[in-house]
Formats: sequence, structure tokens, C-alpha cells
Amino acid sequence: MTIFYFTLKRSFGSLTNLIFLTLAPIACIFFPAGEAWPALPYGYQYFGIIILFVAIRLTQIIIEDRARGVIKRLSVAPIRYFHYLSQNLFAYFVILILQCAIVIVGGLLRGQELYQPFALFTLYLSFSFTALAIALAWISIFRNKDIAFLVYMSLIFLMVLMGGIMMPLEMFPDLMKRIAVILPTFWFAEGLNWVVYGRQTSNFMLINGVLWLYTLVFLVLGSTRKMQ
Amino acid sequence: MRVLSTTKFTMLRLVRNYIGLLLLLIVPIVMLTIFSLILSGMTNEEGNPYFNETALTMVLTFQLFGGSSVMHYLNYDLFTLNRERMFVAPFNRTMYALSIMIFGSIFSVLLGIVLMIYSQYVLGMVWNNWAWTIYLITLMSVLSSIVCVIFTCVVKKFKLAGRLSEIYGVGFVMLAGLFFPMPQNAVFDFLGSYGNPLTLSIGAVRAGGNGNWAEAWLQANIVLAAIVTLFLVMIVVGRKRLK
Amino acid sequence: MKSYMEPARFVNGWRLLNLGFLTYYWISGEFAAYDFILLLFLILLTSLRWRFNLPAWSVALDAFVCFLYFPYHAVSYYGLALPIFELAQRGKWLFALLFFIGLFVAPFPSAWLFCYFVLALFVGFFSYAYSLNQQQYKEEADEQRKARYELERVKIDLLAAQQSVAQQAELMERYRMARQLHDHLGHDLTGAALALQAHEYVEEPDEAHKLLQEVKRRLKRSTLNLRETVHNATPIAPIGVENLEYVALYFQQVSISFRKSGDLLRVAAYHWGLLEACLKEALTNIARHSDATKAEVKVEAAGSIIRLLVQDNGTVRQSQQPGSGLRSLKMRARSLGGSLSVSGDNGFLLVCVLPLREEE
Repeated sequence: MTIFYFTLKRSFGSLTNLIFLTLAPIACIFFPAGEAWPALPYGYQYFGIIILFVAIRLTQIIIEDRARGVIKRLSVAPIRYFHYLSQNLFAYFVILILQCAIVIVGGLLRGQELYQPFALFTLYLSFSFTALAIALAWISIFRNKDIAFLVYMSLIFLMVLMGGIMMPLEMFPDLMKRIAVILPTFWFAEGLNWVVYGRQTSNFMLINGVLWLYTLVFLVLGSTRKMQ
Repeated sequence: MRVLSTTKFTMLRLVRNYIGLLLLLIVPIVMLTIFSLILSGMTNEEGNPYFNETALTMVLTFQLFGGSSVMHYLNYDLFTLNRERMFVAPFNRTMYALSIMIFGSIFSVLLGIVLMIYSQYVLGMVWNNWAWTIYLITLMSVLSSIVCVIFTCVVKKFKLAGRLSEIYGVGFVMLAGLFFPMPQNAVFDFLGSYGNPLTLSIGAVRAGGNGNWAEAWLQANIVLAAIVTLFLVMIVVGRKRLK
Repeated sequence: MKSYMEPARFVNGWRLLNLGFLTYYWISGEFAAYDFILLLFLILLTSLRWRFNLPAWSVALDAFVCFLYFPYHAVSYYGLALPIFELAQRGKWLFALLFFIGLFVAPFPSAWLFCYFVLALFVGFFSYAYSLNQQQYKEEADEQRKARYELERVKIDLLAAQQSVAQQAELMERYRMARQLHDHLGHDLTGAALALQAHEYVEEPDEAHKLLQEVKRRLKRSTLNLRETVHNATPIAPIGVENLEYVALYFQQVSISFRKSGDLLRVAAYHWGLLEACLKEALTNIARHSDATKAEVKVEAAGSIIRLLVQDNGTVRQSQQPGSGLRSLKMRARSLGGSLSVSGDNGFLLVCVLPLREEE
């Protein structure tokens, strides 16, 4: 578990990261509620975007390791790449779980209307995993971490826009609605809708299941060992 | 006037900065296309297409980030990578910095114009007053360049300066209330109207389109005043740093 | 060896295309959002196949997921193309034919579906044949490479053997000469020396005269013997540096200036063999490829090296790979511990440097 602790330390090591990782969820709590749309307060609607950003920010450690040749050195160390990757991911999961918990508990304390807090928490967790897997797959394509981050930023905007987190899907033309389904953000938005209006638990399970499927796909794609 | 001979290469550098082009040209084009798909056929209360508003906002919003390349080049050339070379080169460094700034702004304006052309001829929206819109785009891009130069000169760590410029961009977009409505109080009201270059320039273009030229000039001149003030600040700060 | 289209890439490209088509079909059709899960499953299985080498039976999973979705939408029928491709790509195309049953249960006109299946089968089979062929070519290339390495090793061994044979011959020749000197010259000279010593003690003039005559006879015979031995030992063909000079002298195409310096007797016979080959190669090259009019040949023995330098005044066409002759000469020079280098910067220049053996 050395790598796990070390990853945690590194994630909170730099000041910018610390601010980013702690202030972002806290800020979310204080965002105002929307009028007609979204039904959840803005902070909770947009927390998905923050999760996406946090995920790519956290996985920067892996791309940094690759650039510095740490991965190359690990390959001769008595440790498997699988351990390295899983402990890193586990550390990121822990951080994301903490963030989700902060947001939910903070919202409850502040008296935000969250409808079904526990379901919301579950949804955030599922989406965190998906976001991490996507970020992992994304950085496996790139060598330079700044370029990876910048391009991913624009990709996030597009995903969020087309997935229906920033605008209600009902406004979209039919074709765009269908394209949106391909994006994981659509399922997150769907989940948010369920938290507000949902009745059948099976639907919610299905939504989470889809997010988990996305997680698996991107984990498989992103877990290749790149030496650079 | 040796600085003039470098301008060609500054321009080439800007054109070949593919990541910058991706972020400031391709992404807005894609987003404009998506918005035009989403908002096609929707009109606001006055009967204007909803997309016109969005396109205007997008074109001006991306000008907020136009200064980042200027910032990078200044940092590379005058403070880190090429610093020693520049110090032995026989030309005026202040003028060189100014030329980078001017060309960065011009390039950013050109990108804005490309976006306007794209939205008019491909997406089929109509810009009412090209000259006025381009004037506002120019103001925004110059302002962004100046702000970025100030950040570069004031903050020792370039990474932090980069973050600050991002905060400048995203912050004003948020304060303009484009993501979600801001809280109702005096400070946020001010920063969401007359204290925000983005809202000012959007307002100026909108007022120009409605024929309300007094209001349009007022808003544009506030931005211009901000530019003049910050330009003076920049000269003071920049001279200190370039010494 | 760089190859632009590995079979694996081809296979992955087809998988991606397939998924792209299914997604496109899903988008363009009127299917419920939750039915997208089928596609996700197929994507997951395909990405697993991309990452790991799944066994052939894993296509049953694809087929099962598709089967589950049969009643709900048409994409599931088209999804069967994936297992068909995977099976065909592993050479089990007969099993792939089983999935064509999907054609008969499809609740819609299945002409396009048939077309799609056949395409998948064909592409799968094609990539199977492709990878088989590549495998075969790889093995063949490996074998050839192995044979080439073996040949090179044999060549090195031969060169070493040649060197040792030359040394042996030299030693045997020395031994022969020593024996000859000992057998013929030695006895006569010893006899003459003894006779001279005896001459000092002889008092009778007649006896002394006879002894002197004997000494004279013996010395004459040994002189004759010595001359004969030396004459026998001297080869008629030119050897060593003379041979090089001879080669340069009788070269007709260009005028050659030949210079030699240093103690050339220290150079062993096997060195001369290589130097001669080098000189001949260089001169042949000049005659065949160069527009030179003059050439300069220098042989220098200095310190513990011998150096051969051939320089002409022609223009050299750049980017020419060294021919097999020069390559093998380089090899031979290396095996003697020396080096051979060629340069075309200013006319053709060949320099061969060999280390001389220290006197034992």
C-alpha cells in the first residue's frame, strides 16, 4: 500500500491541487438553486463537471510518472504494473469519495433540496469511477500532460454540453438527443433526473450499471502500460 | 526598427501553435455548430433567433482567453527560454514585447472574425453590424492581452500567472451569469453588468444592434477606459520587470 | 523491418468499424435509450479482445447478449457480425456459419443483414489468411537470418584459420632452413674450423698444406651450399611489398605513384595478403567507377602498425553503399585487429591500418 499512501500525499502535495481538490466541492455547496431548470441546485447539477476535471487532474500523476521515467523504473522494481495502477486508482477513488461525501453532507447541513441524498451520493460515486476511467484512457494517448489537460478540457465542455448536463435534453433536436445517449454524461444527467423524479429503483440501478460498463470499457482501454 | 523584422516570425509562431488553434478556433467552431443545432428554430421574445445571442456571447467569450499565447511567448522570450539571447540581441525589448502583444491581439481578433464568418456563412446567422462587432472584439482581445501581460509581469511563478489568466477568463464568464444566475447583491450586480468586460461588450453590440448608440458607446468606452488604465499599469509593471 | 499494416491493426480497425456501424445504426434507428446497453456490452467485449487474447469460445458471450436483445431491436441481429468475424479471424469459419441462422429468425427483410454477415465472414477469413501468411514469412525471414549469421561465423573462422596457417607455414619454412643449414653447412664449417685449429699444432709443412687444402675445399663446398640454400629459399614470384609495387606498376588505366617507407620486413605474409587484396580492390574500383586520372599508393610501416593508403583525384558519387568486396575486406581487416576505412570527401580514399605483431 506504499504507492497508495504516496499517491494520496502527492495528490495533496501542491498548493494548487489542494485548493482545487478541497475548495471545488465546497464551492459547489453554495451555488444557488435554479428556477425552472435544473431541479437540483446548480452546484449539484454541475458537480459532474467538477468530477470530470478532478479526475483528469488526479490522473496527471500517472502521466507525470511516465514522462519522468518512473514507470520504466517500476518495470524493473519487484512490483507489477497492475499494483501500481490499482493503488493509484484506489487513492484517486478515495479522494473522489471524500469529495462526494463532502458535497452531499454539506448540502444536507446547509439545507439544499437534494430529494434523495443517498441515491445522489451513489450516482456521484458511479460517475466518479467513470470519469476516472475516461481520464485514464485519455492520458494513455498523450505524452505531454499540459496538452492532454487542455484538449481534455475542451472535450469535457463538448461532452457536458451534448450530454445534457448544461442544458436540458428536451431542448435538443431528435438527432442530438440520440447522439447524447452515447456519452456517459447523458447517463449522469439521466441519473440526476431520476434522483428528482424517479420512482422505479430498477431504472436507477440500470443507470448506474451503464456507468459501470463505461468504467470497465475505459479501464480496459486505459490500463495498457505505456513506456513512452 | 529591427523589431519589425521579427513580426513575421511572431505571426508564424501564432499560426503554427496548433494546440492554441485547437482551443481557440476548432473548439468554438464545434461549439457554435452544436449550439446552432440545438437552438435551431428557437426565438426569443423579440422574435430574434436565440442562436444570435449565443454566437455573440461565444465569440466574445473566447476573446477572454486570447491573451494566453501572448503570455506564453513573453514568458519564453523575455523571462525563461530565450532570455539571454534576447538580452544580447541589439533591439529594444520593450518594443519587442509590445509587438508580440499587438500581434497576439490581432491574431485573436482574426480568429474572432473567422468565427463570425463561419457563423454567418455556414450556420446562417446574420451579424447586424460587422464593424461594430469587430471593434468590440478588438477591445476584448487587447484587454485580454494587457491583463495577461500584467499577470506575467507581476507574478513570479509563470504557472500561477497562467492559472490567474484562466481564472480571469472563467471568472468573468461566471460573473456574467452564463453558467448560472449569480446571487443578487450589489457586488455581484456590479460585476455582472458594468464591472464585467464580457457583459459590457455583449451589451454594447446588443445596444448597437437595437440602434441605441448612446448606450452602445457608453459601454464600449468603459471597456476602452479599462484598457487605457490597465495599459498604464502594464507599462509601469512591465518596465520594472524588464529591467 | 517496418511494416505499416500489421494484421493486428487490420483486425482492430475492422472491429472499430463494426462498432462504429452499429452505433450509427443505433443512432439512426428508433430505439430506446436503454437498448444502448447492448452496444456497451459489445464495446466492452471488443475492448477486452483488443487488450487481451480472449479464447475463441468468448464469442458465445457476444452471441448471448445479442440473443437477449433479439426481441427488442434490429441492432442485435447486426451485432452477430462481431462473433462471425472473431471466429473467422481465428480460422474457425465453419462455426461462424452457425450464426447465419440469425438471418432466418430476423423479423425484417434480411438481404442487407446477409450482405453484412458475408462481409464480416470474408474480412475475418481474409485477416486470418493474412496473419497466417505473415507468420510464415516471419519464420522464413528468421531462418534466413540464422543462415546468414552462421555463414558470417564460418567466414570469421576461415579467416582465423588462414592466419594460423600462414604462421605455421612460416615456422615450418624456418625450421626447414635451419635444418638445411645445420645438415649441410654446419658439418663442413665445423670440420673446417677443426682443421684450422689442428693446423696450428702441425709442424710438418706437407701435412699443414694438406690440412689447408682440406679447409679450403670444405669452405668452398659450404659457400656453394650456402648459395644453394639461399637460392632455394628465395622465391621466384615477387612477395611482400614488391608484389604491391608490381601490382601498381602493371596497372594501366591511371598513372600511379607508389611510395613505401619504414621497416617493411617486419610485416607478416598474411598482412601482405590482405594489403594486396585491398590494393587490388581499390584499383579495380578506380578503374570501374571513377573518372580519376591519377592515383597515389603509399605503404608505411611505422611503430607497431602498417598502413596502406590509396587516394585518387576522381569525383565520387555520394550515397553509395560499400560493395561486397569492400565489406568483406573490412571484415578481414577487423579479424586481424586492424581497420579499413573509405572516404569519398576529396576523391576516393582508402586507408587500411593493421597492427604489427611484436617480435616474439
